[in-house]
Amino acid sequence: MTSSKTIVLRSSDGATFEVDEAVALHSLMIKHRIETGGADSTTIDVPEVTGNTLSKVIEYCKKHVEAPNSDDLKSFDTDFVKVDQAVLCHLAKASYYMNIKGLLDLSSKTIADMFKGKTVEQIRETFHIKNDFTPEEEEELRKENSWNLFV
Amino acid sequence: MIPTSIVVSDALEPDFPVIYVNKVFESVTGYRADEVLGRNCRFLQYRDPRAQRRHPLVDPDCVSEIRRCLDEGIHFQGELLNFSKDGTPIVNRLRLAPIHGDDGIITHIIGIQLFTHAKIDLNTVSYPVFNPKTTSFTQETCPILQLSDEVMAQNIFSRLTPRDVASIGSVCTRIRQLTKSEHLRKMVCQNAWGTEVTGALEHMTNKLGWGRLARELTTLEAVCWKKLRVGGAVEPSRCNFSACAAGNRLVLFGGEGVNMQPMDDTFVLNLDAVNPEWRQVSVKSAPPGRWGHTLSCLNGSWLVVFGGCGKQGLLNDVFVLDLDAKQPTWIEVYGGSPPPPRSWHSSCTIEGSKLVVSGGCTAAGVLLNDTFLLDLTMEKPVWREIPTSRVPPSRLGHSLSVYGRTKILMFGGLANSGHLRLRSNEAYTIDLVEEKPEWRVLEYNGVGTQNAVVPPPRLDHVAMSMPCGRVIIFGGSIAGLHSPSQVFLLDPSEEKASWRILNVPGEPPKFAWGHSTCVVGGTRVLVLGGHTGEEWVLNELHELCLASRQA
Repeated sequence: MTSSKTIVLRSSDGATFEVDEAVALHSLMIKHRIETGGADSTTIDVPEVTGNTLSKVIEYCKKHVEAPNSDDLKSFDTDFVKVDQAVLCHLAKASYYMNIKGLLDLSSKTIADMFKGKTVEQIRETFHIKNDFTPEEEEELRKENSWNLFV
Repeated sequence: MIPTSIVVSDALEPDFPVIYVNKVFESVTGYRADEVLGRNCRFLQYRDPRAQRRHPLVDPDCVSEIRRCLDEGIHFQGELLNFSKDGTPIVNRLRLAPIHGDDGIITHIIGIQLFTHAKIDLNTVSYPVFNPKTTSFTQETCPILQLSDEVMAQNIFSRLTPRDVASIGSVCTRIRQLTKSEHLRKMVCQNAWGTEVTGALEHMTNKLGWGRLARELTTLEAVCWKKLRVGGAVEPSRCNFSACAAGNRLVLFGGEGVNMQPMDDTFVLNLDAVNPEWRQVSVKSAPPGRWGHTLSCLNGSWLVVFGGCGKQGLLNDVFVLDLDAKQPTWIEVYGGSPPPPRSWHSSCTIEGSKLVVSGGCTAAGVLLNDTFLLDLTMEKPVWREIPTSRVPPSRLGHSLSVYGRTKILMFGGLANSGHLRLRSNEAYTIDLVEEKPEWRVLEYNGVGTQNAVVPPPRLDHVAMSMPCGRVIIFGGSIAGLHSPSQVFLLDPSEEKASWRILNVPGEPPKFAWGHSTCVVGGTRVLVLGGHTGEEWVLNELHELCLASRQA
């Protein structure tokens, strides 16, 4: 059995995760750090990502690196994003920061789908967004967008 | 003397974007000009450059008062808590004055600030500081707004349709700000309509902007008929030619001359020229002359001719031409076993390089109902018949319109109906991306009910696809007394498609039939020729404009 090199990733809240180098390299940001950091860097700090999110990101990378051609990759991805909004947004943020295109596309697409076909009120409810327009601004918007309702 | 900080904002643009800040502003606030131009000044109320809302110690009543003065176009004077870029609190003694243009409209707001050190301790303050009638504290608990602008705009919003992006701007101020970006709107159009279509629309957006263009193509609020007079001449005169647009150039090939002789010359009309005029294209060798053929545009400046009636009978040959070559030459493409020779068929181009041909009439006078495809990107292109289990009734003079990148809408024509040949107003669709593409009848919504609108049956009409996927139909040889210039609109992607009548101001062409249409730049439908019973007119073009040419 060949011994593969492992890397330790440390999240913003100090949690550490030991992963195969190949899995860590799935993040282009980590790949860049390793390539420019010198041979001694076996622990890499990921200060923008919390432990909970980092563990999920690693789960994604593991699956995509170890079994990229497996038949259940699609269903893995579909189930992977069946999480609550906060986790989904953290995944999008982390995958952007860590430069993991596949995960960024997956999480972004899932969030985008949550916008489709919803009215403005429904969007606010879904995402817990407060309406911070003044009544004057709202009136202006209503006029600007009236075309959208009647086409 | 305390140095004065000055900011000028544009009052004609939404949300008063900053257009100028002086050096004092830069040095006191720590924000460089290039970091703040184009933004509203309210970022000074945020303690952190990346914050989404103002700091709770900023007096919301003062902010409302600023708003009121701006709305009423009057002076404001007051004091407001601001923060420099590194989070240091500073007091801004602010004066705002409106600047009027020649016609009395307020064009700019000038802001004069005297900044002084704020004697407050941010750590002893607890939330909420003011009356809870002020808003936006709960934005902090909203996960999606914690995402950066790039992730929100480039990765999430760019996947939405142009209409969705227009409507989500009403959700909250931050999203509104993000959706106003021209860059985002362009990405959205590209993702929704494809790069081919948006490339063709590029020059229109210099004047209109992508947001407005997408809106006009959806509402068709700016649609109108226009007349265009051009110079030069297509001589000898002819009918039954074929024409198409390559970018902003119209190309015409062949046709039937006065003595029914098939023509083989090529003409081009450059609409970008100051005085557009028809010019003959000098080619090394021409395809055999013909009429009742099809001319379609491939990627960029390439053109392809298929079929038609030549001197010795019906043809099924293929010729291509690169209009931009130093010496444009028609080159024959041999595609293996070609479709049966025909005339009055219809053709279209899929994904810029796949020629699709269907229907038409054979030498024996038999109508066809086949569908053939020739992929011209291949080294050795080969004709391929698309076998479908259900075929639309055979026809000639019908139209094929491409929508949704790989789908085709077939409409109208003179079709077999039992022993007879009747004008048709039926529509069929096919999606070539499928493994086994099938022609399907497009069912119309509300047929038989009082308010249902269906175009009268016709052949040799104009059909044109718009970027959003809807199809416009008008003209043609129509039975009865219906006006051929009535414009109809259809969305073929609906399960039960509804026809709509489009009321177009301006003077429509005096239609009958036999004209040719070309689409230029994605938003202009040019109608040339058209046998009005008198003569074939090619110096007067009629244009159906779908979007404004300038803002």
